[in-house]
Amino acid sequence: MSEVRFVQVSKEFEDNNKGKFMAVKNADFTIRDKEFMVFVGPSGCGKTTSLRMIAGLERQTSGDIYIGDRIVNKAHPKDRDIAMVFQDYALYPHMTIRENMSFGLKNLKRPKSEIDEKVTEAARILSLETLLDRKPRELSGGQRQRVAVGRAIVRNPKVFLFDEPLSNLDAKLRVQMRIELSELHKRLGATIVYVTHDQVEAMTLGTRIVVMNQGEIQQIDTPEELYKNPKNMFVAGFIGSPPMNFVKGRLEGNTIQTAEHVFFVPEHMLSTYKAYQGKEVTLGIRPEDILNLEQLTVQPAHNIIEPVIKVVEHLGSEFLVYFSIGEETIVAKFNADYPVKAFTKQQLYVNMDKMTLFDPETQFRIS
Amino acid sequence: MIESSQSSGIKTKRFTWENTKQFFRDYGWCYAFILIPLILFVLFTVYPLVMAFIYSFQRYSVLGSEWIGLDNYKSLMNSSVFWTAMKNTLIYTAATVPVNILITLFLALMIFPLNNKSQTFFKAAFYLPGVTSGITMSLIWLWIFDPTGAGLLNAIFNLFGLDSVMWLANPDTALFSLILMTYLGAHGAGILLYLAAMGGIPKSLYEAADIDHAGWWSKLKNITWPLLKPTTLYLLVMGIISSFQVFEQAYVMTMGGPNLATTTIAYLIYDHAFQSFDFGLAAAESFVLGFIIIVISVIQFKFMSTDIEY
Amino acid sequence: MTTNQQQIQLQLDEKKDKQRNLWKKTGLALIYVVLIIWAVLTFIPLIWMFVSSLKDSTAITQVPPQLIPKQPTLDAYQRVFEVGGFARWFLNSLIVSTILTISNVVLASLAGYAFAKLKFPGRHTIFWILLGSMMIPGQITLIPLYILIVNTFQIADTYFALVIPTIVTTANIFLARQFMASLPSSLIDAARIDACSEPKIFWKVILPMAKPGLAVLGIFTFVANWNSFFWPFLVTSSNEMRTLQVGLTSFRYQYTADYGAMMAGAVLTAIPMFIVFLVLQKYFLKGITIGAVKG
Repeated sequence: MSEVRFVQVSKEFEDNNKGKFMAVKNADFTIRDKEFMVFVGPSGCGKTTSLRMIAGLERQTSGDIYIGDRIVNKAHPKDRDIAMVFQDYALYPHMTIRENMSFGLKNLKRPKSEIDEKVTEAARILSLETLLDRKPRELSGGQRQRVAVGRAIVRNPKVFLFDEPLSNLDAKLRVQMRIELSELHKRLGATIVYVTHDQVEAMTLGTRIVVMNQGEIQQIDTPEELYKNPKNMFVAGFIGSPPMNFVKGRLEGNTIQTAEHVFFVPEHMLSTYKAYQGKEVTLGIRPEDILNLEQLTVQPAHNIIEPVIKVVEHLGSEFLVYFSIGEETIVAKFNADYPVKAFTKQQLYVNMDKMTLFDPETQFRIS
Repeated sequence: MIESSQSSGIKTKRFTWENTKQFFRDYGWCYAFILIPLILFVLFTVYPLVMAFIYSFQRYSVLGSEWIGLDNYKSLMNSSVFWTAMKNTLIYTAATVPVNILITLFLALMIFPLNNKSQTFFKAAFYLPGVTSGITMSLIWLWIFDPTGAGLLNAIFNLFGLDSVMWLANPDTALFSLILMTYLGAHGAGILLYLAAMGGIPKSLYEAADIDHAGWWSKLKNITWPLLKPTTLYLLVMGIISSFQVFEQAYVMTMGGPNLATTTIAYLIYDHAFQSFDFGLAAAESFVLGFIIIVISVIQFKFMSTDIEY
Repeated sequence: MTTNQQQIQLQLDEKKDKQRNLWKKTGLALIYVVLIIWAVLTFIPLIWMFVSSLKDSTAITQVPPQLIPKQPTLDAYQRVFEVGGFARWFLNSLIVSTILTISNVVLASLAGYAFAKLKFPGRHTIFWILLGSMMIPGQITLIPLYILIVNTFQIADTYFALVIPTIVTTANIFLARQFMASLPSSLIDAARIDACSEPKIFWKVILPMAKPGLAVLGIFTFVANWNSFFWPFLVTSSNEMRTLQVGLTSFRYQYTADYGAMMAGAVLTAIPMFIVFLVLQKYFLKGITIGAVKG
């Protein structure tokens, strides 16, 4: 069993300039056995601190951390049965690749035959066989990345920790490594904790995702759930690219009255929002749920707006269209087959079946 | 290495055997790494500093010192020798430091545009004399300043039909002689600092200046000089501090003479402490010197706090 | 197609360009001339030292002096060794500088590493106290230090007395901290996860990476101690315990007239440093910027 459990874990840092601040507040979660858990959030949200607390590189101010059945609160990193891949790879520059990969096992005083076997095996998995006697500086970025992963694999740990491992690679290599990491997870069947600031990486890699902001956990869910049912405006705004649009309005009967438009709420949703009748709400619409009317075969009766398009950004297979509703800039994502010109009026359909409503006070989703 | 923590969410810190053990497990090595330097620091810096302060209020004697309050400070303030030494030190500093910084800057400016090979050659050439000790240099210059025609400087004078000069034996020229030898001294370290700073100035600034019709002088005045200010200030302060402590030349070449002409503060402290064994007076003088140097250092910190990384 | 006017403009630009190139070349030539002249000037004292050391006792006092000795001789060097003690002084300097180089490299790198990379209560306070103490001029602590070593410990005129106050200097700790801080912290984390003990992290991970910096630190320490004068001068009284620099000054007062021997002694004192410099040049030329201003 290699699950990781946080029970009411907090971490307070003492900073010379800022004084005390809470990097992680009352984190409470369980990372299940064999799960690929991704921590995502903007920089300074506490995701890396959480990872480093699992590793034992930082110690929590309060709370308990379990790895497997063991409380590891005060355990040294070496006694936690974990391995870590660092953002800058942290390869020892003066050691060969083989020495880099075997360093940990040597320190643990494992027999030489076992070390050799494991290094060879890891090198085979990662196709590093021909590079074993080189120094890190002779390797490309992608190769160094693999060595860093290899160093973790030879340890055969209960839990793999990844700290933004792909952020130093160029875009193309990043996609390739993402696929490799996914395959590796299936192959090793290990528990992986992975930190990134890139929500695309989080969505593609994670079996579940922890979204953090300002030291607090916002939501823990599968990628699909995060996208469909974000708990609050932060998660809704963070997950998805481009982010969800927010428009302020008021719920009146079966409509939402915004500054310029009236949107009709689908009947089956109305019961959910009963408590908010006559009150301010924030309407959340994803860019992909705003459609070009020309695309539709059936002419919808409601929820058609006709704004002036301000900017059009081409992304190849699709393009982004910017316009205003009141003071908000709204972005919509269209299929490239239906071109739109800037500075023209365009009829757009807002798919209210996919909309989300938020309480503007608490920022929570109304459900 | 690891921030402290309590077990299971208990937030109070108690002094127990268990906590102490944990503290040493967490930080033991950190303190072990700095232990010897710290002991040496206390023994050979903190303790002497405190003792020097105490001595400066005493008439020191091996058999038993006598507490005399501010007498040492009073007597040095009233001593013409002390003020002569102060004047000599100030003249020496004012005549050496700025000129040497200008020489250094001038040389660095000339080396900077050269190709790599020439740069290395001149860097090395100007650095080399710097690895020679102050004593060696003083002995060589003692010989160069030899009052007879056999001394190199007088030989050159004679060659041009001028009379020999008693460089070091004449009160009017002795201090000047000590100043003169610094001009031909080692400028290597300063040159390297300047070159490093020049290398740090973005090329785009000069390209922008080219487009703005700036000439050679204008670029030097408006870009290079202002951006080298931190280095200049650093060299200035370091130069002042070391010239306030100048001793070896005065000891080897002139013994502070003739007629106190080359008695610097540092030389005076040496003379009072280790010739007259008046440790109390010497300690008081050293504190005056220390005060001046600390004031200069504080000014440096104030001006440069943004340019030094700690 | 170029019109006549364009043609004229083109020629004008070309002419200006040529002029500029000529100026550049002349300027560069001028720079070389000035630099070489100044370099020669700074070398004159050293050259004069060599030249004088090769003259015999009569040639050296000759007026006007011979710029190149007519009969070069090693007589002066022979006299240096006849005086007695010179070889011993040389050995003393070597012993003292070597001990201090090793002790400073080891202790300053450990402490510098701790201050740069380890987190422990009080590290900022301790470091700032050390840093602040660098402002205190040596003259202040010198007198009590002298009394401590000579009267309290009663170890004057020993190797112990020569080395003890500078076993590790604050300046070196500061220098070590500066270059330790530039090493990536993630390697230390990685080593901890790789089950490395703290001393082993220092030995196996930090030291190999800090080698160039430590080389600079060691070289500077060696040169500084080889050249240091005042402390050895204070705490040595017997001829056998003198270091080279102290011994050299005794020439000044014993052999006022014998400049030949003095210059020969100076040559023998300076040459080891010249060799160190020429062999390890790159460390000198790169090292100076580590500790000082942000390069």
